[in-house]
Amino acid sequence: MNEEQQQAFEDLIYSYVGKVVCQRMPAKDAVNEPMIRHWAEAIGDNNPAYSDPQWAADSQRGKMIAPPAMMYSWGQEGFPVVAQGRTPDAQSELVERFNENGFFGTLGTNVKQEYFKEVGIGDTVYMEMVVDNISEQKATGRGIGYFFETLATFSDQHGDPIGTQRFRVLKFIPPAEQAAASSSDNDEALEVPTRIASPRGHDNKWWWDACDEGKVLIQRCKNCQTLRHPPRPMCGECQSMEWDSIESTLAGEVLSFTELHHPKIPGYQYPLVCAVIKLAEGTNLVANVVGCEPEAVHIGMQLQGKVEQIDAKTMLPQFYPA
Amino acid sequence: MVANIKDKAVIVGVGNTEFSKNSGVSELSLAVQAIKTALDDAGLTPADVDGMATFTMDTSDEIEVARALGVGNMSFYGRAHYGGGAATSTLHQATMAVATGMAETVVCYRALNGRSGHRFSGGVSGDITTADAIHWGWYMPYGLLTPASWVGMFTQRWMHNTGIGKDALYEVAKSARDYGANNPAAFFHGQTFDRAEYDAQRMISTPLQLFDCCQESDGGSAVIVTTPERARDLKQPGVAIRGVAQCAAKDQEQMTSFYRDEFAAIPEMEIAASDAYAQSGLTAADIDAAVIYDAFSPIVLWQLEAWGFCGAGESGDFVKDGALRRDGRLPTNTHGGQLSEAYIHGVNGIVEATRLVRGTSVNQPDKTVNHALVTSGVGIPTGGAVLGKLDL
Amino acid sequence: MSEYNTRNYDEVSVGDKLEPLNIDITTGLIVSTALATRDYEPVHHDKGVAQSTGLPDVFMNILTSQSFMTRFATDWSGPEAVVKSLDIRLGAPNVPGMVMTVTGEITAKDDASGIVDVAIVGENNIWGMHMQGTVQLALPQGA
Repeated sequence: MNEEQQQAFEDLIYSYVGKVVCQRMPAKDAVNEPMIRHWAEAIGDNNPAYSDPQWAADSQRGKMIAPPAMMYSWGQEGFPVVAQGRTPDAQSELVERFNENGFFGTLGTNVKQEYFKEVGIGDTVYMEMVVDNISEQKATGRGIGYFFETLATFSDQHGDPIGTQRFRVLKFIPPAEQAAASSSDNDEALEVPTRIASPRGHDNKWWWDACDEGKVLIQRCKNCQTLRHPPRPMCGECQSMEWDSIESTLAGEVLSFTELHHPKIPGYQYPLVCAVIKLAEGTNLVANVVGCEPEAVHIGMQLQGKVEQIDAKTMLPQFYPA
Repeated sequence: MVANIKDKAVIVGVGNTEFSKNSGVSELSLAVQAIKTALDDAGLTPADVDGMATFTMDTSDEIEVARALGVGNMSFYGRAHYGGGAATSTLHQATMAVATGMAETVVCYRALNGRSGHRFSGGVSGDITTADAIHWGWYMPYGLLTPASWVGMFTQRWMHNTGIGKDALYEVAKSARDYGANNPAAFFHGQTFDRAEYDAQRMISTPLQLFDCCQESDGGSAVIVTTPERARDLKQPGVAIRGVAQCAAKDQEQMTSFYRDEFAAIPEMEIAASDAYAQSGLTAADIDAAVIYDAFSPIVLWQLEAWGFCGAGESGDFVKDGALRRDGRLPTNTHGGQLSEAYIHGVNGIVEATRLVRGTSVNQPDKTVNHALVTSGVGIPTGGAVLGKLDL
Repeated sequence: MSEYNTRNYDEVSVGDKLEPLNIDITTGLIVSTALATRDYEPVHHDKGVAQSTGLPDVFMNILTSQSFMTRFATDWSGPEAVVKSLDIRLGAPNVPGMVMTVTGEITAKDDASGIVDVAIVGENNIWGMHMQGTVQLALPQGA
């Protein structure tokens, strides 16, 4: 798109701001126990306010209510969406304008609902919706695109406000590789990611192999007995290339630590604390501190480690409060 | 032995591209734009260039840059390793080449799509095939694989040892943001924050929160270095390299020197500082302003100590009374730093330090700046340079 | 009645954490919850259509994510709590085979209204953050 085309495109999409997606319309069904029960079963929500008439009658409310999160569900079209597709409206037209111009990607990014009044059995939920705003063009992690937001307003049969919903959608140009991926059939089971493993080479493979067997070793110079970690091919003290190793007791002390909050990496479980640990043998080792709240980790804390299976592919030393 | 390089090489041109989160162009394009801007600034043409220095990490090959720009024959091309630790090492390379006559006019450059392309915040991964993959292997399986997490580990211990708290980190971040807010080229132009907003930012890796961390940016920066004789015939007042040093200290690892007797320290910067001062015949007292590498707020504090602006463990008190501000003892990161201008691996810092000496920073201090310090990233092999007016 | 206690506003503190909840994401769950929320979009029940959008399988609809947020909050608070608002940012999809872990923490209290903010994060074990946001609950105050 050149500047002129973009201007024309933006004039077009911004003309949708304020357009009515649907006029105030009652839901097909009044709020009723069976539909609430279907929802509660599927969501696994045992709240008696939604499902126990006896409890509800004795409660502060004095009656059963619909789950607030169902507010938008009442007005949905239902099966006709499958049979005939969605009825065209201002929102679907707007989406079509984006699609025509290459903004095929669709991502719901935010929903905000406010609830003013709880609805009870027999109430009817009315909904009306408008296109509320459209952002300027943004460079997002997904690609170049625009955010648009719809505003739905809910009321009951008396016209009393029930709540509002703001729904924000990103329409974006999918990167080329994403487009390619979407055309290929991917029927394989999802592979659960594991922690990122160390590559193994001449100088470190023996250490990781021992770790796989449950042992943490410390390299030792055969000539001057100096311990060293991480392993290296030559002793920095005496330049000997002869070495053996000892097994660590994994008793240690925290020299420093950091709790990793962001980004969260697939394959890792959070909260996650890493520490530099001074082993009783004298060398330092970086590893995780587990078995306590992250807030409890402190410099000088005494630890005892053991090698554990972390996931399908990973064995690592993990340190617990001693 | 003190290297005999004082005033033998001079910065005569500087240039930045626009900084953004999505440049929409190649890194090579950013590199040649920055260099062209720097050449224009100097009043030179690509034909005048006969040497280049950049980072090993840079993806724009010297010969590609040369062909794109129209540079002719080159007699020198050298690269410096270790990420942001290479910032002033590009000057180090250029200075050696110019001082020895290996080249007459050397371009230092760095260009990256640091936000829209490869992002450092994503951390290292098992996919890397470089020789240091084995090194990262000691940390990746535990989840310690981002720059913020490595620096967080150092910072936690340093705060424990010194008793310095987040007030000092805030002042570093806040002073940079206030400068950046006033710099139209800065990403955070017009946007500052207060303590409550700083404290409310999300935790990245304890004790570092979002505003303690630099941005990720797309952009390029370039610096032109030539001989003093040539410099005196050019457009801009020359900014001499009085001293420039780099150091990889004993038991150094790349961001993970956790195996020293006391690892909450940056001995490599202390050594580089003492070398650069010795070359220049200057001391901390002679430095009027500074651009101190700020990938993360605490590392500025460590460097203030390493360069002797205050004693060890005293940087918290030093910054507390506004030393980094425009009217303070050491106006620092007046462009907004990498925290608030852009993260161009410290080379935008050399551009700013040059401007400070010329007197053309957007936040130029009222006092005369005869000498400015500019430093490289720490936690890695590092260095710094003392710049000064060519003809004082 | 005694089996359904509701927390009193005064006994809740900022920083209180909610007992984490693990939800196994299955095709059955995705389809059932989509229909129970009246969402018949084919991407939530037709694998072929879902795959044409680049995902490996059918994925959870947003109304269900919202429902899990409020359920998680009221499971903690008890049934007399009134849900006042829900503000949710959506992340990676939930697809069959994943496990979503939901965690929460009280982040604010407003004495005047008796409203507490429950910050909730749902992360799946493969792609990370699925939903993140705040549910506001009005809790009973006083004795």
